[in-house]
Amino acid sequence: MSPLLDLLLLRWPELLTATWQHIYISLGSVALGALLAVPLGIWLSTREHISRMVLGVVGTIQTIPSLAFFGFVLPILGIGILPAMSVLFLYSLLPILRNTYTGIREVDPALIEAGRGMGMNSRQLLFMVKLPVALPVIMAGIRISTVYIISWTTIAALIGAGGLGDLIWGGMNVYDIWLIVAGTIPAALLALLAGFTLGRLEKTVTPRGLKAGYTSGEGEFNI
Amino acid sequence: MIRFEGVLKAYGSLEVVKKLDLHVLEGEFLVLIGPSGCGKTTTLKMINRLIEPTSGKILVNGQNIMEMNPVTLRRKIGYVIQQIGLFPNMTIMDNVDLVPRLLGWDREKRINRVYELLELVGMDPEVYANRYPNELSGGQQQRIGVLRALAAGPSIILMDEPFGALDPITRENLQDELKNLQSKLNKTIVFVTHDMDEAMKLADRIAIMKDGEIIQLGSPESILRNPSDDFVLEFIGKHRVNSCELEKVESIMKTNPVTTDPDRKGTEMLALMKRKGVNTVLVVKNDKQLIGVVTIEKLDNKQNLTYKAEYLADTGLPVITAGSPAREAFDLLVSQKLEYLPVVDQNRGLLGLVTRTSMVNALASVVWGEEELS
Repeated sequence: MSPLLDLLLLRWPELLTATWQHIYISLGSVALGALLAVPLGIWLSTREHISRMVLGVVGTIQTIPSLAFFGFVLPILGIGILPAMSVLFLYSLLPILRNTYTGIREVDPALIEAGRGMGMNSRQLLFMVKLPVALPVIMAGIRISTVYIISWTTIAALIGAGGLGDLIWGGMNVYDIWLIVAGTIPAALLALLAGFTLGRLEKTVTPRGLKAGYTSGEGEFNI
Repeated sequence: MIRFEGVLKAYGSLEVVKKLDLHVLEGEFLVLIGPSGCGKTTTLKMINRLIEPTSGKILVNGQNIMEMNPVTLRRKIGYVIQQIGLFPNMTIMDNVDLVPRLLGWDREKRINRVYELLELVGMDPEVYANRYPNELSGGQQQRIGVLRALAAGPSIILMDEPFGALDPITRENLQDELKNLQSKLNKTIVFVTHDMDEAMKLADRIAIMKDGEIIQLGSPESILRNPSDDFVLEFIGKHRVNSCELEKVESIMKTNPVTTDPDRKGTEMLALMKRKGVNTVLVVKNDKQLIGVVTIEKLDNKQNLTYKAEYLADTGLPVITAGSPAREAFDLLVSQKLEYLPVVDQNRGLLGLVTRTSMVNALASVVWGEEELS
């Protein structure tokens, strides 16, 4: 353990900076991704034809190996945070988009019919019914995206974005296992923490009436 | 109130509603009934423009609905669906409150309205207002579904098989409540079902539909008495036409009751009862004229055993004439808690006896006949 301790003692400012960079690159990319994917998913949910095309394109992006993708953007956007975040942003889209789209599409048609039949306009139907009911699914998409973007951000170090990947790649170059460990553990912890926090948030935004485990027995029952 | 004028709905070349003319009167409970695919739901949904007619006109309060804003139109018409469709993300309060909220009522008025409505169906607002739909039973949920339709006080309510998914007992209860509400609130209700019993129970008028057309329109009674064709006959079930209402007492009575003449003594009657295995004998004069009845309880007394039948007979017993509807006999048996009812002719000549057993037999044959049909 002492080599790791030595390393921490010696290089903790660098580790701290890398962690901080890692956080804002990954969370920033996901935030931007959500900002595009959620409205896009909502918009697509009423347009079946286009939606198939858009989901296809976004799905294809997902299949490009990340290492190769960073390579592709290099000649166009150069190195640094901008190209790294652009790639990560594109990767973050699919889970959020797909969950938003299916979450809204799978809202019980009876609710839509009841809402329309009672005189909700399409905006009211979206904000009063579709979104609240689909919110847990959308949040799950954001959580999945966040967790894996945090881990992929380590690769972004290859094109000079910084972050914990710097330590890992550095360690690999000089055969320093402890440097690799020093980059990997915080990255893994970050991913776990993000997954946990967003999981909790998901539960919080789930309307009480949609939570499982509620008795739907006869009314004299008190819960 | 609602008037269909030559309304046609076609999907491509398939006409699901054909040139429909129908006038739903104000305060009327109109039931649209027919087999699936007959166009009844389509007809209903055209009223609030969830489905738009291909041609023809629908007038609500004299106004062509195609010239109205659909959202405004729908807020003026209550709507209840089979799947209930309560919003799971909203409390009961928010669900019932929905249309008033869309219409921008102020908060206090809305809360009062919800409380008033919950009390109307006997659900304590303090208990239920803040619950969520999944905390209620199916029957309670649909009660809320009905209240939600009533919330903004629309004069028209559309109901699309609202009780179809409920268990039979809950369904009966909700039908009773709805009928009750209707008599209090006097709404114009258009109600879709495929259950003839439900239609009979609720409707002021029934429109029987088949292949996008109304085959027969009229009160439940008139449809039962004069079904317009074999389809209607089949649909209402043949047993209804010769139901016990139309049967005569003479067709269900027992024809050989145990009788005695007025001179017999108590001891003889007791022996007769033992021999015949009965607990009553009818006392008749001149072999025919009914005087009264002697029960075995009367003979449970040494002194009485020495009296003659004519002194022992209970003469105040209700009787029924042979030509009366069987139903009258049943009503008498049930309401007066009688064990039997002598059947007589015009001159009080004894013809037979209706007992509880003969009532059960007659009912069983109706039920049995029904099973045979389906």
